[in-house]
Amino acid sequence: MSDKNHTPDKKPGWADNPTFIRIFIGILTVSAIAAGLAGFNPAWKNPHPHFAVEGVPVFFAIYGFVAFAFIVLAGQHLRKLVGRKEEYYDERE
Amino acid sequence: MSASSIFAFFAGNPAIIMMVGALMCIATPRHLASPILLIATALSAIKLSTLGLGEYGAITLFGEQIVTLRLDRLSRLFAIAFHIAAALNIIYAWGQKDRAQNFATLAYPAAALGGVLAGDMITLFVWWEIAAITSVFLVWAPGTRATYVSGMRYLAIQVLSGVLLLAGIVLIYRETGSLAFDFVGLRDDATGAIKLSALVMFLAFGIKCAFPLLHTWVQDAYPKSTISGTIILSVFTTKLAVYALARAFPGTSELIYIGAVMTIFPIFFALIENDLRKVLTYSINNQVGFMVVGIGIGTAGALNGAVGYAFSNIIFESLLFMAVGAAMFRTGTSKATELGGLYRTMPLTMTFCIIGALSISAFPFFAGFVTKGLIVDGAGGVNIWVWLTLLFASAGVLEHAGIKIPYFTFFGHDSGKRPKEAPIGMLVAMSIAAVLSIGIGVFPEPLYALLPNQEQIAGYNPYTAYHIIEQLQLLLWAVLAFAVLVLIKWYPPEIPSTNLDVDWLWRVPGRALLSWASGASRATWNALWGIFAGRIHALMARIYAMHGPEGQMARSWPVGYMALWTAVLLGFVLILSFLG
Repeated sequence: MSDKNHTPDKKPGWADNPTFIRIFIGILTVSAIAAGLAGFNPAWKNPHPHFAVEGVPVFFAIYGFVAFAFIVLAGQHLRKLVGRKEEYYDERE
Repeated sequence: MSASSIFAFFAGNPAIIMMVGALMCIATPRHLASPILLIATALSAIKLSTLGLGEYGAITLFGEQIVTLRLDRLSRLFAIAFHIAAALNIIYAWGQKDRAQNFATLAYPAAALGGVLAGDMITLFVWWEIAAITSVFLVWAPGTRATYVSGMRYLAIQVLSGVLLLAGIVLIYRETGSLAFDFVGLRDDATGAIKLSALVMFLAFGIKCAFPLLHTWVQDAYPKSTISGTIILSVFTTKLAVYALARAFPGTSELIYIGAVMTIFPIFFALIENDLRKVLTYSINNQVGFMVVGIGIGTAGALNGAVGYAFSNIIFESLLFMAVGAAMFRTGTSKATELGGLYRTMPLTMTFCIIGALSISAFPFFAGFVTKGLIVDGAGGVNIWVWLTLLFASAGVLEHAGIKIPYFTFFGHDSGKRPKEAPIGMLVAMSIAAVLSIGIGVFPEPLYALLPNQEQIAGYNPYTAYHIIEQLQLLLWAVLAFAVLVLIKWYPPEIPSTNLDVDWLWRVPGRALLSWASGASRATWNALWGIFAGRIHALMARIYAMHGPEGQMARSWPVGYMALWTAVLLGFVLILSFLG
């Protein structure tokens, strides 16, 4: 099923180009900051918020950043608890 | 019932049309299988489109009337989604020659379709079980021992769900005297206590919905199937259960918390999982969790959001499975450690994958955005913890499905693999799914027109400034967190491993306990049988000694004994006559 004719080509592609990476991160940063700033416009506020925190202009930005970082930094430690070698079940079933 | 009315009964049900198409694949040449499956799906869709909302196929069984086909707004939405998913899967696997897989490719969706169209609980049960049995062929399709064992576990759990459903049906029928499949509700209206009958049915749905602790059959069975098999499996069983919950248990507050847990725990397992198809199975749990929360909230908006999200999810989750499947088809692996850098030679698959990733992450103008907001907004009406949980889970979706899947498949470290682009069938299926994902996001009105509560959705606009800004803040800053973690090298590398889940309990200690119990029971039986057999043997020996050829009872008796006994008996009779 697999295509075994892989060419051992290690040439960097467009996504590995440092210029592309810089541009991508630049656009991402500018967009993220723009979204954060947009939160300060009173005309763009939720007219019917459920909770007071929704009134904080950058609440969703901070929450998104912290939640993502927490998932990655805390979640990786789950490996210590549940991680086993790949053949774990093969050897037992 | 005349022959023509029997024909009309069967031809009038889209699920039976699909099932006939699946059965035809078994008897026709293999190269005709894909066209037959697609034609059957099209005929089924045509039949569905000609049916107006209403009830059809009523028959009397054991004195009870059952409605084999009910088309209302709720069932129609799922029926349409199932047709789309079935068609996409057939196109994706175009030219597939394996008869068992070809049969299951449509028989299983047909059963799920029959389930959502069922107007009564008996019909639901029958299709529920057919879905379990037909789907296991997809798990077994690779034909290895591991898939056989996994398939048996899968079948046991699915049949358990069916047995519970049947028990629930019997108990509900005894209470209500009705077989109609409508709102059940977990609690008694008068007392507020949980009804046993409803609880049994709730658990049956919960197993198929992959509630926490009942979820591991998804991760165990789905990633072991074939490339196309996994995609098919990913759609139907859990969504049939979502439909069943939306039908029978809307507004059940327990579902809010069950669903909230479902959205959270898979995020962490998905983070550390190396097999990207298994990552996507955790994504199924997470996504179904959002739907379960919406059903539990039960308001018109949240219910619209839950079932609308199910519709969209069927398309973009399939798209992600298809993209990873295409990479696996070309490279032979779906492990993150063995993939990476495929964007160079599989640009179309990469593009489709990114569209699926943007959709599942609920970026504005993609499918997830236009219905997920309804669920999150509904959660805001419950309490802040549920609301924060769903926001947290949204960041988690972005992590494992929005970033991890495309990043580790097509970017990340360069695996050095330079495979060809995906085959044409796969590309066509992925392109349709991608167009639908964007189409629903940009023009949500056709989807909204299908939602159950039209009054609520009529006043809903997903593209308000605050909704877009809030969502972009959440997602863009989460992506920024990813970029920062990668740049400072804090993002954990993928590691080949097996990660234990709760199924470890029955796969290792449970198995050992069963093995011990089996040995102990065998030894006990042998001992008891030995004692019994010894006693029987001794008894037989004594009987033989008494009645055998040389036994006491077999010896010849002298004539004198006979004369003596005759005289005794005659004397006895004489005395009796004298006394009488």
